[in-house]
Amino acid sequence: MSKQITIGPFHPELEESVYFKLEADENRVVTKVNVINGFIHRGMESLVTKKNFMQNLILTERVCSLCSNNHPFTYVLAAEKIAGVQIPLRAEALRVVADEVKRTASDLFNLSMLTHLAHEHDLMKDTLNTRELMQDLKESIWGNRMDMSVNQLTGVKYDLNDETVKTILDTATKVEERVLKLREDYNNSTSFKDKTVGVGVLPHKDALEIGVTGPVARGSGINNDVRVKAPYSLYAIRPELQPKVTLFEEGDVFARAMARFGDILEALRILKDVVSNLPDGKTYLEKRPHIPAGEAVVRTEAPRGELIYYLKTDGSQKPVRMRWKVPTFTNWEALKVMILGDKVDNVTMILNSIDPCISCTER
Amino acid sequence: MSTPPVKLFRINTGSCNGCDVEFVATAFVDKFQISSMNVELVENVEESNLLVITGPLTSKSESFLKKYISKLKKPYAVVGVGTCSISCGIFRDSYSINGPIDKFIDVNVNVAGCPPRPESIAEGIAKGIKVLELKSEGEETPQKIEQILIGFEAPKKFRGRMSLNETICTACRTCETVCPSTAIKITKTQNGFIHNIWHNSCCYCGNCAFFCPTGAIYSTNNFDTVKLQNEKFSDLNTGIINLSTCSSCGESYMPPSSGLLGKAYIHNNLKKLNKSICSKCRKEENFKRMYA
Amino acid sequence: MSIEEFNNAIKNKIPSGYELKEDQDSYGNSQAWITIREKKYALVVANAIKAFKGRCVVATAYKEQNSHVVIYHFDIDGVIINLQLKTNDSTIYSITPILKSADWAEREIREMYSVEPVGHPSNDRLFLDYGLAKGVLNEYISLSKMQMGVSDTDILWSKVKKEVKL
Repeated sequence: MSKQITIGPFHPELEESVYFKLEADENRVVTKVNVINGFIHRGMESLVTKKNFMQNLILTERVCSLCSNNHPFTYVLAAEKIAGVQIPLRAEALRVVADEVKRTASDLFNLSMLTHLAHEHDLMKDTLNTRELMQDLKESIWGNRMDMSVNQLTGVKYDLNDETVKTILDTATKVEERVLKLREDYNNSTSFKDKTVGVGVLPHKDALEIGVTGPVARGSGINNDVRVKAPYSLYAIRPELQPKVTLFEEGDVFARAMARFGDILEALRILKDVVSNLPDGKTYLEKRPHIPAGEAVVRTEAPRGELIYYLKTDGSQKPVRMRWKVPTFTNWEALKVMILGDKVDNVTMILNSIDPCISCTER
Repeated sequence: MSTPPVKLFRINTGSCNGCDVEFVATAFVDKFQISSMNVELVENVEESNLLVITGPLTSKSESFLKKYISKLKKPYAVVGVGTCSISCGIFRDSYSINGPIDKFIDVNVNVAGCPPRPESIAEGIAKGIKVLELKSEGEETPQKIEQILIGFEAPKKFRGRMSLNETICTACRTCETVCPSTAIKITKTQNGFIHNIWHNSCCYCGNCAFFCPTGAIYSTNNFDTVKLQNEKFSDLNTGIINLSTCSSCGESYMPPSSGLLGKAYIHNNLKKLNKSICSKCRKEENFKRMYA
Repeated sequence: MSIEEFNNAIKNKIPSGYELKEDQDSYGNSQAWITIREKKYALVVANAIKAFKGRCVVATAYKEQNSHVVIYHFDIDGVIINLQLKTNDSTIYSITPILKSADWAEREIREMYSVEPVGHPSNDRLFLDYGLAKGVLNEYISLSKMQMGVSDTDILWSKVKKEVKL
């Protein structure tokens, strides 16, 4: 006898609103998955064409607060490509600093949610408190815990000095120590492993076919990190910064969590390297460029994977068309593979393991 | 203590997830003092008496929100978290946005911010609990509730409530142009301009301050953004920018700000410049000086 | 894979021809822009992408006078191939049966621009609420807001202005 089960759209275990309609057998094993999306669809692709290039620096940031640095970052890269401007080296470095700070905080948040849903209260508290170190860092240097407001056309809005560089280095070192300890704790917790190993498996073959990216891909043995495959910004100028990606073959919830630990540790390495070797120079070009008519496709690696922007302009102050694809847009389809045949009680945890960013996906 | 805990249920009506992420931090990080309140997160909206709502209310969320509201049992209190929930903020006027939420439910406490600090979210919840207590005793919601949680500070660089230095603002409208969420309006009056910043539409991004050519608009680290619903439209920063009277011709004119003059007259001694005359008279004066 | 190799793979399979442009960003990443004259040859390109083990990243559409331009963005091991085509009758040939990764991208074009991907395996709406007519992005300003004649911003600010104390 199959049973209908619904989860959502508003539910404490769902960070963002989504509606699951599942069917399960008598052992509470999921036999059919139907997901209803669109609760976070805000019509942003229409909004961006009604706002000017300056306003869009912020509107793109509000696509999603977890990858809130990558959206304006990729958007300005596209605008700069159309305008044909080369930004100062120091600005490239400062963009990467902000990006790796966000990546660390975002991945730590995902891990805290994972342990929360796995009912591992102590691990959750530890992870969340480690994230707080990054949150305090962001607030003290950039003025907000989530939205850093870093990017602008031709550069960045902030600068670092000896004091703030030291703050970043100190925090990064502290976080690194705690993350190494956390990774050990995750590995040593048999109850956590019982709940996550072999759960929500995405086989390598399906991962390829669906085209997943980011830690989800790395958890299934695929490396398509944009920073390595098509390096941009400082990752292209200083190739030694490119992350040494950690790959796992298992494709389960645990493997994806471990892939994120790998990402965090690399992010901290990159962060420390960049702030210790900050190039001198300006943080932006004094002359603001005119954005001529043109089109560009640009991509970066967000905390969840590949983020791609298409921008079309006509020489006016507003974009004619802007479209973006976020990692979750493709990773979402993988959910059906992961959930099918698994327990109903694991559904929210499996959902969390792709680190879904629904606000990014539905715009 | 035998009072039953307040039962909290969170509804995300289409937020960018910033408020929801920070809600999690508020709920589980000890320093934000939620643990000192008698609150419990519940799974069913039917059991709850404190609603925390985030987001600008997308059209798809509307019918579900209404359905959830109909299941609530009185008395209950509603806390709107984030600028979107109060005024739809940056997403206002999109085809897919049907909010703000107070079109469909009586909101009691608003927490502005984009996203608000966990300290503010905690304060919002504390005030929500206060409103709920009063309601349970059959009392009306007061006009004002004083700050409940104490001991919170913000770093110097925190982007909090915006403010305006009227004396150096020239009403050039740069801030109005770059503001992504229409939180700034400059209106012409008979003897100058009125500059309004509506904190409940502001997304605290600092774009205006960054692009302001004179440094007149700036962010303070004041994060006192938790207000009752009756203060929704009056939570404003109003600046009055007066025109000056030209000492030469008597016409009204907008005096140039020292910031702009510094940029325009790099090689000249600014002190020698007669600032009390309008640009037309200055042109004439310069012409006479050079050619007469 | 190089762009030249990809070009060789499709060269003799598109009788009505196509244009190929290559662009390179300041960091040295190359991209191909392929514009086909007849929309049905999108299937040929999709098959070639599949043969190279590539994926559909996303697709964009926009309105141009009375037609729609659709651009597919593919990736083959780090190289982006953009495929551009035009449709005058609001239909395109769905490539989802060939490349599963195009599924959501095509469904979104359907609901945002009312352009039908013929042969797409799914008919369900993706994000757009059924309360809204499909093709919302075809209009510059959405119809529902226009009928009201006044924006939410105006309504809210008129209330704010009543509270201004001088």
